[in-house]
Amino acid sequence: MAQKRFAFVIEIERCIDCKACMVACTVENNVPVGHHRNWVKQIGPKGTFPILGMSFEPGNCMHCENPPCERVCPTGATYRRDDGLVMIEQDKCIGCKYCIEACPYDARYFNEKTGTTDKCTACVHRIYNGEEPACVATCIGDARHFGDINDPNSNVSRLLATNDYYRVYEEAGTSPAIYYIFKGGRKA
Amino acid sequence: MIRNKKTKDEIIRYSLSRRKFLGLTAAGAGAAALATSGFDKLQAYAAEHGQVVKTTIENGEIYSLCEMCVWRCGLVAKVRDGKITKLEGNPNHPHSRGKLCPRGQAGLGVTYDRDRLKWPLIRAGKRGEGKFYKVTWDEALDYVAERMLHIKEKYGPQAMIFSTTHNMLQQQFENLLGAFGSPNYGTQRSLCFNAMITANMLTYGFEEPGRDYNNTSYIIYAGRNMMEAISNSETQDLVEALSKGAKVVVLDPRFSKTAARATEWLPIRPGGDLAFFLAMIHDIIKNNLYDKEFVAAHTFGFDKLKQEVEKYTPEWAEAQCDVPAATIRRIAHEFAVASPRAFAHPNWRTSNFVNSFQTQRAIAVLNAIIGNWDKLGGQCPVFGEGEGVELGRVPQPPYPRTAALRLDGVPWKHPLVPLKLGIFQNIRDAILSGKPYQAHGWFIYRQNPLNSIPERRKTLQAFAKMDFIATIDVIMNDTAYYSDVVLPEATYLERFDPLAVVEGDVYIRQPAIEPLFDSKPGLWIFKELGKRLGLGDFFNYKDEEDYLRAQLKPLPVSLEELKKKGRYAPPKEGDKEKAVGIFHTSTGKIELASTVLERLGHKSVPHWQEPPRPGDNEFYLLTGKVALHTQFFTQNNEYLSDLFPENPVWINSRAAQERGIKNGDKVIVESRVGKV
Repeated sequence: MAQKRFAFVIEIERCIDCKACMVACTVENNVPVGHHRNWVKQIGPKGTFPILGMSFEPGNCMHCENPPCERVCPTGATYRRDDGLVMIEQDKCIGCKYCIEACPYDARYFNEKTGTTDKCTACVHRIYNGEEPACVATCIGDARHFGDINDPNSNVSRLLATNDYYRVYEEAGTSPAIYYIFKGGRKA
Repeated sequence: MIRNKKTKDEIIRYSLSRRKFLGLTAAGAGAAALATSGFDKLQAYAAEHGQVVKTTIENGEIYSLCEMCVWRCGLVAKVRDGKITKLEGNPNHPHSRGKLCPRGQAGLGVTYDRDRLKWPLIRAGKRGEGKFYKVTWDEALDYVAERMLHIKEKYGPQAMIFSTTHNMLQQQFENLLGAFGSPNYGTQRSLCFNAMITANMLTYGFEEPGRDYNNTSYIIYAGRNMMEAISNSETQDLVEALSKGAKVVVLDPRFSKTAARATEWLPIRPGGDLAFFLAMIHDIIKNNLYDKEFVAAHTFGFDKLKQEVEKYTPEWAEAQCDVPAATIRRIAHEFAVASPRAFAHPNWRTSNFVNSFQTQRAIAVLNAIIGNWDKLGGQCPVFGEGEGVELGRVPQPPYPRTAALRLDGVPWKHPLVPLKLGIFQNIRDAILSGKPYQAHGWFIYRQNPLNSIPERRKTLQAFAKMDFIATIDVIMNDTAYYSDVVLPEATYLERFDPLAVVEGDVYIRQPAIEPLFDSKPGLWIFKELGKRLGLGDFFNYKDEEDYLRAQLKPLPVSLEELKKKGRYAPPKEGDKEKAVGIFHTSTGKIELASTVLERLGHKSVPHWQEPPRPGDNEFYLLTGKVALHTQFFTQNNEYLSDLFPENPVWINSRAAQERGIKNGDKVIVESRVGKV
């Protein structure tokens, strides 16, 4: 079987900013209260009353193909796996926080309890057990999707094949693995 | 009044200071980051008090039902190494479909809340001083029974008020009320949807018609913020309908998230919705866009309606609701063209204003004249709550007769209000006036009337007139704080509740862990209290599981099987009965002109009622919902308060500018009844 390559696809028009993804992630991964591995960015309100627009852009670690965090890590704790996931080997992390600065998406946080940096793992412990990442599984609007883009029949491949998409800060050369689908309805 | 038999060191002090109360989350990001998860904290805390946290199974999944709001989604509790680690949505429950909203995801924050009530408490100091004795269940229940019996003997059972909020144990609470013999029962219903249900009952003979989101192409909401006041499956349906291209119009004075994601937002004057809908009816009738065949065959009173709405032109409505006449005309036209795959949602929040009853009637009538009843994409008859399966019952004697008038004035003063709904706030006012008689005791279950009935000061005054107040809850909320006895209930992840029937299938709420500390399941509390009140015959079950077995008796499924799968789906007898043409009204038709209203001397068709306008330097005060909190019971949840710690007031930007108010400023909002 071909090598897997994981990616998130997010349909931003389906996001209602309920933040179930954030709570689910916090509980699933025992994230210290006050920190988060994922987010919902509010865009707007824009416009002039009463013609207003507002939309929501969920995100998390973009699991970049060319991750700046990996380049600055002095110990090799941050590394990219063959399946596309960018991970931190907690035993090797010395808590220097270079990666936190290097990440253009602000996706990493310093865990004061462990003295190391942490971030989204795409719930790697779930996805190889037949479950979706916690944020995807509970998404009320069905905005978040996750899967293997090397598999043309996966839900993510099919979404990307039939929709226009954008990625965030592509100009930084990161080649992020979160694809945002925006169908061109009303957007802020 | 409180027996002073405890030593001083057993007094527990509670504080309602918000900072302290939210001690877990108020420390801010820096310090809070050091905190570990709720479970670890509670585990440590339990260990300090010599208790081991136990689960019902070591590893595996428990199917149960959520209680973070009233939608009751199916959930799967994951248990690993003896603790609940995560809640997932049950894919086989129609309300969750595998997903939980943020509140549902945060359920562990209730069970593992360090601030939860741990032991029965009896007040030690003055009311509201926050001093309580830690007592045993025997002491607490004996005391509650003694006080309640004293009131019953001296003033009659009607002097005890019972109140609770929508929950799965409500039938058992009502059993206690019926057995005790009090007619005074306060629920959330009158604070929520009385106008909507009454209007639909009078129009269709159904409490709340269903909506076919799957096939609809046009939805109008007025006061239903579906994307923030999340009703899991219905919110999922709305997102899907939008994504399939349905047009969604939102009338709301606020730019809510639903307004933001809708196809069209129409900012409207509060209470002006009524004018908007009356003008839509006017326009649809005037332009012959209504479903003439349906109206002729299935409705009553069309001519009267036509005559009444003659004057409600879109131009007239514009002056009342601030939506331009041309827009009203366009929406009316679009809605009629989309019919019958169109509906105006009955909403919830258009149920609380002075003219809400007329607004709800206008919405019901608008749906009727476009003929969307039981059509694809329109309204549909649905199972009521609990309908579809006949469950067994624990045998019990009939209730004593209650001769006393109800304090809420239903029906003797308010004949239109359904008996089941009542008017909670009137009970409070009857306590204050002492008319038609004085109430002396208040028994409160999972409800926070101090916060939920408007005019807190009045509710506090009513509390002061009570000889006795007992509260059952999971946390020391404001009401518990002002009570004489506080009984700690097990949280929803630690107990059985009576079975739930949804769309003709049976679902179970069952414990994933044993109750923490000295908390007890409601079924146990009511049985033990009933026994002490001399009402043991009404609580004729051994324990929780015995109660559930009696419920399951008529069905070919054992409790053990139900516990394993969480659900029992009995074979369905063919299709649901076709409901077209069957309306439970006096005429058997959809009553555009209500025969009941006519008989009681009211105008029978929907008509304009002028809502109040604020005076100089006054504003409308509207309240809304957010996705991260449910009423007043989630504010201490660390996961939710972390993401939504404050409840900011929104002020119209022009009005704010004129007063020099900037984003983030602290303001005082004052009304005739109080200030914040």
